[in-house]
Amino acid sequence: MTKQGSQVEIGIDTGGTFTDVACRDAGGAVRRTKIPSTPKDPAEAILAALAHARDAWGIAPGAIRRFVHGTTVATNAVLERKGARTALLTTEGFRDVLEIGRHNRKDEELYQVKLSPNTPVFLAPARRRIGIRERIGADGSVVTPLDEAGLLRAVDALAAEGVEAIAIAFLFSFLNPVHEERAAALIAARHPGIALSLSSVVDPQFREYERTAVTAFDGYVKPVLARYLARTDARLRAAGLGCGFSVIHSRGGVTGTETAALRPVRLFLSGPAGGVIGGQSVAAAAGLDAAITLDIGGTSSDIALIARGKPLIASHGWIDGFAVRVPMVDVNSIGAGGGSIAWLDRAGGLHVGPRSAGADPGPACYGKGGEEPTVTDASLVLGYLDPDGFAGGRIRLDAGRAHRAIETRIARPMGLSVAEAALGIHRVVNAQMAEGIRFVSIKRGHDPRRFALVPLGGGGGLHATPLARALGLARVVVPQAPGVLSALGLLAAPIEHERATGFPARLADAPLDALRAAFARLDAECARLMAADGAEGLQRTVTHLADICYVGQSHHLEVAVDLAAADPRAALYAAFLDAHRQVYGHAVERPARIVNLRCVHQARAGGDAALSFPNDAPPRPSASRPIIVEGRTAPLPAVIIDRASLGPGTSIAGPAIIEQSDTTTLVEPGWRASVGEGGLLFLDRDTEARP
Amino acid sequence: MNAPTSAARTAEERLAALRREIDPVTLEVVRHRLQGIADEMQLTQVNASFSSAVKEAADAAASLFLPDGTVLAQSASIPFHLGTLIPAVGHVLRRFPRETMREGDIYFLNDPYHGGSHTPDIVIAMPIFHRGGMIGISASVSHHNDLGGMVPGSLPPNATEIFQEGLRVPPQLYQRDGALNETLRDILMLNVRTPETLEGDINGQIGACHIGARRLRELAEEHGTEGLVRLSAGLIAYAEARTRAELARIPEGTWRAEDFLDNDGVELDKRVRIAVAVTIKDGTMHVDYTGTSPQTKGPINAVPSAAQAAAYFAVRCIGDPTIPSNGGCFRPVRLTLPEGSLVNPRPPAPVNARTGTVKRLSTTILSALRPALPDRLTAPWAALTLVCRYIGTTDAGERFVVGDHFVGGAGAGLDRDGVDVIATDMGNTWSLPVETIELEAPVRVRENAIRPDSGGAGRHRGGNGLVREFEVLSAEMQFVHRGERHFEPARGVEGGQDGARSRTTIIRTDGSTEDVPSKAMLRLKRGDRVRIETAAGAGWGDPALRDPAAIAADIEAGKVSAEAAARLYGQRGSG
Repeated sequence: MTKQGSQVEIGIDTGGTFTDVACRDAGGAVRRTKIPSTPKDPAEAILAALAHARDAWGIAPGAIRRFVHGTTVATNAVLERKGARTALLTTEGFRDVLEIGRHNRKDEELYQVKLSPNTPVFLAPARRRIGIRERIGADGSVVTPLDEAGLLRAVDALAAEGVEAIAIAFLFSFLNPVHEERAAALIAARHPGIALSLSSVVDPQFREYERTAVTAFDGYVKPVLARYLARTDARLRAAGLGCGFSVIHSRGGVTGTETAALRPVRLFLSGPAGGVIGGQSVAAAAGLDAAITLDIGGTSSDIALIARGKPLIASHGWIDGFAVRVPMVDVNSIGAGGGSIAWLDRAGGLHVGPRSAGADPGPACYGKGGEEPTVTDASLVLGYLDPDGFAGGRIRLDAGRAHRAIETRIARPMGLSVAEAALGIHRVVNAQMAEGIRFVSIKRGHDPRRFALVPLGGGGGLHATPLARALGLARVVVPQAPGVLSALGLLAAPIEHERATGFPARLADAPLDALRAAFARLDAECARLMAADGAEGLQRTVTHLADICYVGQSHHLEVAVDLAAADPRAALYAAFLDAHRQVYGHAVERPARIVNLRCVHQARAGGDAALSFPNDAPPRPSASRPIIVEGRTAPLPAVIIDRASLGPGTSIAGPAIIEQSDTTTLVEPGWRASVGEGGLLFLDRDTEARP
Repeated sequence: MNAPTSAARTAEERLAALRREIDPVTLEVVRHRLQGIADEMQLTQVNASFSSAVKEAADAAASLFLPDGTVLAQSASIPFHLGTLIPAVGHVLRRFPRETMREGDIYFLNDPYHGGSHTPDIVIAMPIFHRGGMIGISASVSHHNDLGGMVPGSLPPNATEIFQEGLRVPPQLYQRDGALNETLRDILMLNVRTPETLEGDINGQIGACHIGARRLRELAEEHGTEGLVRLSAGLIAYAEARTRAELARIPEGTWRAEDFLDNDGVELDKRVRIAVAVTIKDGTMHVDYTGTSPQTKGPINAVPSAAQAAAYFAVRCIGDPTIPSNGGCFRPVRLTLPEGSLVNPRPPAPVNARTGTVKRLSTTILSALRPALPDRLTAPWAALTLVCRYIGTTDAGERFVVGDHFVGGAGAGLDRDGVDVIATDMGNTWSLPVETIELEAPVRVRENAIRPDSGGAGRHRGGNGLVREFEVLSAEMQFVHRGERHFEPARGVEGGQDGARSRTTIIRTDGSTEDVPSKAMLRLKRGDRVRIETAAGAGWGDPALRDPAAIAADIEAGKVSAEAAARLYGQRGSG
């Protein structure tokens, strides 16, 4: 037990309903389980996972080599408004920057007369936003010295009010952080218990609203994360875990808990990042370097792109509708998922979402009191889902309720049959997802047709072939275990750290010495973070990047920097023109400028054996049931197959339904499913099928 | 609700007939596709832009049209631009009938009297062909840095004729059969101050049109040209029937409102009247601007396309958001634009500063309708964009021209306070970061804050305006200030009070102060300070009925001072 155990790695992904656990041994064999999540204290489920590994799999906690966690604690603190009591110090005269934002109203209120506020004021309401006398000029010089006495008076008052975190965002601190640093030192000396977030550290780039907001978010979640990570670490150690645990951050890299607690605003996508990295591994295993991952949840679906073998990283992301300017895997949510409710507008037009039945009451077919028809109800009516086999038999579906909900709310008012209405629901939700996927691809200059679709989570398999058809995608790759792909992604993620700095300079005459020196500083900072996470002895990949735009433009593009090139500036310029052409469709030879420099260090952390998924139950025999698909008037008899019964090399023509405990895959007519060497399921257009 | 009128019944019957003719699911699927195409066009042009108005403020829009000029899909972007693209494409088609259009053509216009709205807004339109037939037009409009004329940026606040506002181009071929019209290009580039930026941004617009073309062709390939035509017609008929049904739910009658613009920037002591009579009848809306002031000497005139955009915006606001945004929404709308008036000027009246006018036109229409739709509409917004420009030479000898703009507060509603400092009505531009302004112009911003005590008091408070104060760091500077609501406030409703007026003060180095009369070109010297306070939204309902907790919260947040609270609401909130 211990001999094998010493190579065991465990990934734990905390979701809203279930905490997914994946365990990989040195040979690559994967064991998996789902444990009910414990939203009040997510650590309960993590400890339960550790106990499960010990009791059910015989793995002693002390023998676990890596223990990686995807956490939603930071995200939930924001969504539930349960972050720390936070104050914001700004330059005098600018305390309302956080509330004023950029003046724009929400896109969805474009044609609305009644408006709602569009900035995260909850992070620090006006009484906890204090202007401090100080000023750095636009050239980085000190215009007004920091009023230290005034600062301390303000901070003392805040401390008396019970403030747990202070965010400091002074104007032009990205050019000269001296006042932010001095303020932090003074506060730390006087009130060591207050967590501090400095805009010159969190996000040293221009545009004061964005920098202030991300710094305030950092402060708001910092004490919450610090407590959660420290307590969980202590409890895991008490339970015998010897290796300590690490978490995945929004860029899809792994970091130790101590470092993570210092940069908590980088954990907002800790949940989805695991899935994206899992998708990246699946694409790699399938020999593909371009893939779109699609995670269809209850209320929304997450879309991400893998291009040239790597997940696309966005320079900012979103939480609860607010922009957060730190690099993240480019995960885009659209408001359509399995629980999305189908409804008719006043004129009888069919819409799906954004309202969702969620997990409670859930779709009508859950029989938990939901009366409104959802996408899942439609899937059941169309024959795609087995009422007794859903979610590995955990939830029994009531086909009668699904039928009634669609009949009364959609079919009858529209004058359609229930089957037609159910198909309509699928077509509308697929159209929304297809546009979402297209928009995400195009936004980054990629033609989706060159990409494979990787459905992950439980819901993607039913929509994969219709979406691939609508988008003209090359193929679909269904992972062996889509339900725990996020947890597996945690194990595949590298240890990674990123540092950036503003570097305003014209590209043509950027001083090379200064450029090298800036990268050397960033490298040193990254190296320190990597060392803190135990990556010293590991093979490391170092990437140097620059944000470049044309002089006069303000949306920049990230381009790789080759400091070893004969003429690094010329190489950088050429790479920028390529990137501009790729993303915007055109490029002209005009002067460009550098905005930021960025450095990323990565080290492979986990084992690299190919994954295998031992069966834990004998395969069920094949069966048949009628299903309804787009473009056919009558139901078609579809073969129903247990995925466990499909060995490598097997091939099945649609219409077919492939079932496994964590997902159901629809193979439409005209598509063919085949199993690859590693056990991946490929769906391709069936060239042999008659139209 | 009222008993269904005959108009409502007619609209319902039309919808029922449509549902029989065209599969409603396919219609919804195609609607998503078309929306996706328009949004992708918009994304492309904004991302690739050099113009500061576009790159920071997204001052651009994109749409797809049918070959007859009916708009088929609009990007989620600035309503004003979406509205003006419609007559612009109409003008292109009038000058170049569709039979004469060829694959590889690109059309260009910016002349306000030929479908544009002011000279910096360039419209690019591209006919889309599939299997030899024309299936649509993709079009884009974008605000460019400069089109020449008497001042950089081509928005002279003291213009008295359009010839001062820069180069005017009526509908012209920018490209024929894929070949660039070098004559037009050369003339353009010679007449503008920043030619390389202009060309880059035009290319961005063309790139967006190409994307629209490619994707519409894909749709035609899927559904067949005939199928696409049928679906497009269906979507437009659907939007029309739904808009008529919505209009039929509003009590029939004629609803009136008036408002006053400060001045035209030239005749500073003359208020400019906006009068609207909105008649709702038989599922249609008629907007009559009779009674509006004659065209002005200064540049605040709005050409018909701009005045029309205001009415289009209003009809979208009172409709249901699930109605697809296309030409069908606008078929039930009729306008009366008196010739020679502010909303239908005769050339060569100057028009560059029409933004303030159009914003107020839309607000005035909505104010007129508010009594008919009290739960949907609000007390008046400040509905202003203060447009500014810093112009001069730095101490190091570099010329600078930097634009900036500010908004005011939103009006209070039946059930909520107005939002402080937010872009309302037909624009939705983003403000420029203070750090951007200071990096580009020799100024130091001393304050950027919510303006306390400015929102109209009421049971629900109007949104506060903005305070912005800056100091001049160069020896001399010209400062263009195109303000609004300095003299006429947003009027409170149902017993609510007016929002505060705008106020801008120059504080000279010797301590003397001067008030800026709404629109002016100021000469500033090193050390001078300019303090801008923008107008606020109007209040709704009797202030005596305001929830004491809301009063206390306002005081705590510094949005209302204790003194003002005592004066406006009594002592109830301060305890």
